[in-house]
Amino acid sequence: MLILFASTLKEMIFPPFEIKNTFKQMQEVGVKSVPVVIITAVFTGMVLAFQTFTGFKRFGAEALVGTVVALSMTREMGPVLTGLVVAGRAGAAMAAELGTMRVTEQIDALETLSTSPVKYLIVPRFVSSMIMLPCLTIIADMLGILGGYAIAVWLYGMSSALYWRRAWNYLEMNDIYGGLAKACFFGAAIAIVCCYKGFYTEGGAEGVGKATTGAVVISFMTILISDYFLGAWLLK
Amino acid sequence: MIEVSGLHKSFGSHQVLRGVDLQVGDGQSMVVIGGSGSGKSVLIKHIIGLLKPDKGSVSIDGEDITGLDSRHLYEVRKKFGMLFQGAALFDSMTVWENVSFALTRSGMKPKEAKEVAVEKLRLVGLSGVEDLMPSELSGGMRKRVGLARAIAHQPRILLYDEPTTGIDPIMADAINDLIIKMREELHVTSVAITHDMQSAYKIADRIAFLYEGNIIETGTPEEIKSTANPYTKQFITGSAQGPIKIEGVELKGA
Repeated sequence: MLILFASTLKEMIFPPFEIKNTFKQMQEVGVKSVPVVIITAVFTGMVLAFQTFTGFKRFGAEALVGTVVALSMTREMGPVLTGLVVAGRAGAAMAAELGTMRVTEQIDALETLSTSPVKYLIVPRFVSSMIMLPCLTIIADMLGILGGYAIAVWLYGMSSALYWRRAWNYLEMNDIYGGLAKACFFGAAIAIVCCYKGFYTEGGAEGVGKATTGAVVISFMTILISDYFLGAWLLK
Repeated sequence: MIEVSGLHKSFGSHQVLRGVDLQVGDGQSMVVIGGSGSGKSVLIKHIIGLLKPDKGSVSIDGEDITGLDSRHLYEVRKKFGMLFQGAALFDSMTVWENVSFALTRSGMKPKEAKEVAVEKLRLVGLSGVEDLMPSELSGGMRKRVGLARAIAHQPRILLYDEPTTGIDPIMADAINDLIIKMREELHVTSVAITHDMQSAYKIADRIAFLYEGNIIETGTPEEIKSTANPYTKQFITGSAQGPIKIEGVELKGA
């Protein structure tokens, strides 16, 4: 996997650049993931607000709902949930598509037509994942906070001004940047893991199935494990 | 000129090629025959540099390609066109985009590339299919599109991986005719691998028999038909009885 990562970086630097393919992948990875990210983020924000409000009410700290939702979404839930959604949706598609191309000899065909499969297939997926994950995370952060607002203000009757003041007062730019940096890393990790599993698929339809499952499971594990270490490093 | 010398290749403990020697002259049509799992596909993938040998060499026009880096290998591959067993058309592209892939990659404008693609498709007997997707084509049509793609960039060497496998006998014969037409009209050197003897006799100038990782006999179609080698004889007659044993199968009276 490290060799594939190194080849991807090398092919990314030297022309020709796969601009058309990269835009196509940005649509696949980013634009088409927007509806799922919206639903996931809104409901996560709602759940956070609901649990925080009912829990914090026991010791009279329910005014901090906005703070908890904003910090949770920007630092953790936004990037991690977006990463998991993209890994499950676009990552699985990457592994399945490349796996099918491998077992039907389409990747060999690219080679025979003097085209580097790493440059043509993997670099656009890698670049687009690294760009689109932070974009999706921004959407998730905003909508999660709005979901929390809906519960805190509309359901529990909290003051709208108080929610926003608490949300912004304790939020630092580093929380947002750190979350986006994590999202960028998750994007790179998802692309490399899923492309690797697809690119080296063996054994026909069964192999494609195994590669896809393996790609999603390893991506999930990578996101969750690296989230701790990245969080400890970037968001002290 | 293609020259394969002492080619060895193993996958794990399984030794597939055990010192293959093969020469194909310019303009010649060589057909490599052999049973399933005999290493035919592995051999053809070495000729185009998709696999690296454990030992031995593959020379194209006197240049040993086994040690070349990927950039130089891509240059050498411009001399080749390859028709894959399942055609290996790119699912996400239309027929004309498939055929003109190498041309658009090398900078040709799409409009011009489409015109070339339509012309190549006509050469392989297809018209009006350029805007279809590969999933809308029959097996025989896919092979023809694969062949059009293989010849689009005017290669000097054509490789055919099981060109008649998986299609009906009439379509198989039409594909054989196309292979002969390509050789006569484009003056290409061709190497085909197959276990279809009817196809081999029709398209070959020379036939090589690959058995257990070695070329054990080479000759013209006539020489192969009248061979005294019991292994070759059993293979070309398609008999289950003889020195070639079928792995995992016990035959009565064998």
